[in-house]
Amino acid sequence: MIHALIAQAAELKDAVKGITDSQTIDSAVLGEQFYFFTVVLMWLIHVGFMTYETGVARRKNALATALKNILTIAVVTPTMYYLGWWVYNCNQPGLPIGPNSSDFTSVACQGGIPWSDSFGPNLTNNINLIFFLAFLLFSWTTASIMSGALLERVRLSAYLVLACLLGSAVWILDAAWGWSAGGWLTLRFGFHDSIASAVVHGVSGVFTLGVLFSLGPRIGKYTKDGLTRVFRPHNIHMTLMGLMLIFTGFYGFYAACLVIVSTLAPGWANIYLSPTTLGSIAMIITMGFAGGFTGGYFASRGDPFWTVSGGLAGVIGVSAGADIYAPTLGYLLSMATAVMAVWVGNWIETKMRVDDVVGAVAVHGFSGFLGIIWVGIFAAGYPTGLNNVDSSIWGQLMGLATFVPLGFLSGWIAGWILKKFNLLRVPVEVELDGLDPAEYAPDIHVPEFAQGEDMMIEPDGTRVPSEAVQAGELSELIR
Amino acid sequence: MPAIIDSAPNCIQHGGGATPASDVADFIVGARYEQCAGFMTFGPGSTYGDGGQAATTAYYTLTWIGIVVTVLVLIGWIVYENRRLIAYAATRSHGGSEPAASAEAGRAELRP
Repeated sequence: MIHALIAQAAELKDAVKGITDSQTIDSAVLGEQFYFFTVVLMWLIHVGFMTYETGVARRKNALATALKNILTIAVVTPTMYYLGWWVYNCNQPGLPIGPNSSDFTSVACQGGIPWSDSFGPNLTNNINLIFFLAFLLFSWTTASIMSGALLERVRLSAYLVLACLLGSAVWILDAAWGWSAGGWLTLRFGFHDSIASAVVHGVSGVFTLGVLFSLGPRIGKYTKDGLTRVFRPHNIHMTLMGLMLIFTGFYGFYAACLVIVSTLAPGWANIYLSPTTLGSIAMIITMGFAGGFTGGYFASRGDPFWTVSGGLAGVIGVSAGADIYAPTLGYLLSMATAVMAVWVGNWIETKMRVDDVVGAVAVHGFSGFLGIIWVGIFAAGYPTGLNNVDSSIWGQLMGLATFVPLGFLSGWIAGWILKKFNLLRVPVEVELDGLDPAEYAPDIHVPEFAQGEDMMIEPDGTRVPSEAVQAGELSELIR
Repeated sequence: MPAIIDSAPNCIQHGGGATPASDVADFIVGARYEQCAGFMTFGPGSTYGDGGQAATTAYYTLTWIGIVVTVLVLIGWIVYENRRLIAYAATRSHGGSEPAASAEAGRAELRP
């Protein structure tokens, strides 16, 4: 009788272990799929940035603008792989110098080293690579934020170097410090920026401002009489569509900022491992768009560009507290953020005389840092990080005091060095003619509203203009 | 067929043919990898253990080649673009033809 009971207990134990093992695998695969689909969705952010910035550019710079965005992926991806993940995983306690230097023996740090066994195909680790990819998409975003501000006069190669610096070193360092459960800002000060208002947007904005100081305005932007010239976007509809694509991708961005823990209630945690739900943040992003569009529309008196950019500013302004805000608070704060972003954007353009083509410093930099201050004012008292330090205005100000100089100085110094070597800006002739004819082909654009000539390839490979196909030739050509 | 570069780690079980699976739980291909964790090309095969930082020499070297190539690409990009831009500017300053696209450069307005 007793033997039978013992045997039954052993069977039950095995069965429970089997169920637990299956649950662990299920949970890991669920997390892997979740981040994979956020990555797919976040690609739309980059489709959007490309479309948005190309629409803003004058036609003579349209192709160079689009290519610049696409090539961000070409350089930030390897640099983030070789450097960025190490920065994030190994530098959370602080810079790797001095007596309190980073812990390079921790398991998390080992996962960030490019020759680590878990940073490649690994049958025992479903998460490291896919989580890295989510962060990589954030890195592309930081670079794209800067991209629009520098349009129409920055060299492609200079931009790519700056993109690597911002995307694979600067933002990811501030993320290690203030956007991780073990970061020193989180552990010591309860810094709370759950969906990266300042960590991604704010830092990218001030980095961009630093670069802009070295880059200077486009030729003709400002006159000696104190006037500001407005270079009109060549396709405002394309710009608005680009912004809408960015907004779609933002849902993936928001979701990817969460940690999925499907075996524990409530199933989700923010980046500091405090509990939240996917619905909470999705609600705030949606209310943020609503408030942002409204604020942008009225502050700009119906300007289409600023109305839609207001939506972006609004969302960025409520991202830091998206896991804890009441929907109404999110709506009101996003509206206020958008109003202020429009004012700041106009002030930067006309009073500060900084030629930020897309208003990135106002929309991302100002709104991002305002976002963490909103948390200090309206959402103090939420335990954050492994030490459960309450969020507070002081913690948020500590983050501000750390990130503004980190972002601005690194952008300014990098821009200054490139400028010293005459590698930052295109030559005057190129800027006046347009980047497209200089970088790609002199005859790349046809006159507006005209039909371009067809080209015929001669037997020796040369291309000569050809007359358009005539109706009479159709039967011969179709054959 | 002999491999040109046999980069598979030692943890992979080799052998000709495979026993037909009795059901889906009998994961016949997976069995070849059951001793493996990091099984990528030139990879270590199993986990590194507590130290965790010492990759196999081949994989470590491969990674550093990637790092060097990345840096060279960035430098190459700077040099290549610099040459093209200087050549274009020189052509224009010596009376080269003006591209058609610049015709729209004057489309701007002034505001106070």
